[in-house]
Amino acid sequence: MYGFEAMTFNIHGGYLEAIVRGHRAGLLTAADYNNLCQCETLDDIKMHLSATEYGPYLQNEPSPLHTTTIVEKCTLKLVDEYKHMLCQATEPLSTFLEYITYGHMIDNVVLIVTGTLHERDVQELLEKCHPLGMFDSIATLAVAQNMRELYRLVLVDTPLAPYFSECITSEDLDDMNIEIMRNTLYKAYLEDFYKFCQKLGGATAEIMSDLLAFEADRRAVNITINSIGTELTRDDRRKLYSNFGLLYPYGHEELAVCEDIDQVRAVMEKYPPYQSIFSKLSYGESQMLDKAFYEEEVKRLCLAFEQQFHYGVFFAYMRLREQEIRNLMWISECVAQNQKSRVHDSVVFIF
Amino acid sequence: MVVDHETPRLENGQTDKEVEENANVLQFMDSMDAYLTLIHSLSSTLRRGWLELASARHSMGASRVNTVLLDHTSHPAATSLLVTQDEGKVDSGKPHFTLCKWASSSNENSLLGEKQSSQDKLHPQLRHRGSTELYEEKTSSENKASREVDDPVQKERSKSLSMFGTLVSPKLRAAQLSFEAALETLVEIANMRSEMLCAFDQVNMKLEGRKDEK
Repeated sequence: MYGFEAMTFNIHGGYLEAIVRGHRAGLLTAADYNNLCQCETLDDIKMHLSATEYGPYLQNEPSPLHTTTIVEKCTLKLVDEYKHMLCQATEPLSTFLEYITYGHMIDNVVLIVTGTLHERDVQELLEKCHPLGMFDSIATLAVAQNMRELYRLVLVDTPLAPYFSECITSEDLDDMNIEIMRNTLYKAYLEDFYKFCQKLGGATAEIMSDLLAFEADRRAVNITINSIGTELTRDDRRKLYSNFGLLYPYGHEELAVCEDIDQVRAVMEKYPPYQSIFSKLSYGESQMLDKAFYEEEVKRLCLAFEQQFHYGVFFAYMRLREQEIRNLMWISECVAQNQKSRVHDSVVFIF
Repeated sequence: MVVDHETPRLENGQTDKEVEENANVLQFMDSMDAYLTLIHSLSSTLRRGWLELASARHSMGASRVNTVLLDHTSHPAATSLLVTQDEGKVDSGKPHFTLCKWASSSNENSLLGEKQSSQDKLHPQLRHRGSTELYEEKTSSENKASREVDDPVQKERSKSLSMFGTLVSPKLRAAQLSFEAALETLVEIANMRSEMLCAFDQVNMKLEGRKDEK
């Protein structure tokens, strides 16, 4: 039973909760998106964003703009806000905030390892890493030949070290092993984050359990759909699903044997929260599934702000900003490619 | 003007020579029409491909669909172009381009100029006056061959896409198919251009012959 956070939360977390709620007020609205969707060029987008909180980050960018530049600068804003909150946070909020970035850390590790396998220059790989997932010895990843070396040389001193126990082998790194490593690490990270939130208890545990369970379920569906027609066996597919969430364990058993999108739909429609998502799709179609999941995620993230005195607002804010950056990326691509009729295919309004 | 009473004339008053000239002009116009149609088709296929790639990047994340993941190691080309000369025809010397798709060193059965059944859905209806039956026969026989080699082709496609990871979004696979179709269209455009230039040369030769006669 929780309810006493109101008495003590503000001592250590009150300032940062106020900060994050203030940041939330700066998220782009439907009116902003309508203006952006009507832009003819990327410079028009820059002009419209100059009136938002992204203005200072884009104002010095020279023309012609690229879509990647817009995404990079908007991401820098998120990173600055995150670093400000992290340096002000005390335990256990600081650990909670660090947990939010471990997913990006995993993506960066896989990017460096894959790029090195493809004989790419380490410097250009580092430039493409997500800034939230950077750590000191990341460049040393390029030296490792297999997962054991990866762990021993670099990752043993990083927060990802505990997640490696399930995937340490001496096999040389190749595309399939890297993919399995990525998904195994992410599974271990999600489970660890879930346990951490459960230990925190109270409203944080309740709200974060719901958000992380949704994340685990969405991952399970994406892994299933992406592995259809590949060499990944059913057993290997089953091993990549997280051990929590609404679909655990019976939904996972059914998803593991799915061979097409319609079978996935049949499994998911047994679960009421996901029935509404799949009802938006026509049979055999999976193109709009991402948008449907993002819409559901945004709804749940916005609901996190309806309650006070919990850490879920920090997680929700970071995810909402990432969604906003994805929206800006999509709008920029549609404008740059002169395909404005398709702009509403993937934009998810937050407010 | 010399009137040639000995040259047999057809019922509509045209000579064989005039019929041949008209056929050459028609062939030139047909090939130009097909060429322009293919150019338009290529443009729309590429537009679709680029948007699908952006959609895949949106779905999978910028760190997974990235230029830095392109493979710089030495590896055999997945697809190559075969250039031959058309022999035994009136217009010999005309180059002919054939796409050898998904022919890597591990797959000795190179798949010459096949069209996948799925590719037909991507192509708009091409108008071919005078060669429609030929085109339909060629497409249906190629479709039969294509179904028989689907699995090795699918494996080669997945191998080609593995630089982005082995579990990629269906949107990235769709983008791959679009760019594959665009590549095939490019080869068709090259062949059609070759035909068009050949037909133009024929028409030009006839016109110059006429001027000499006068």
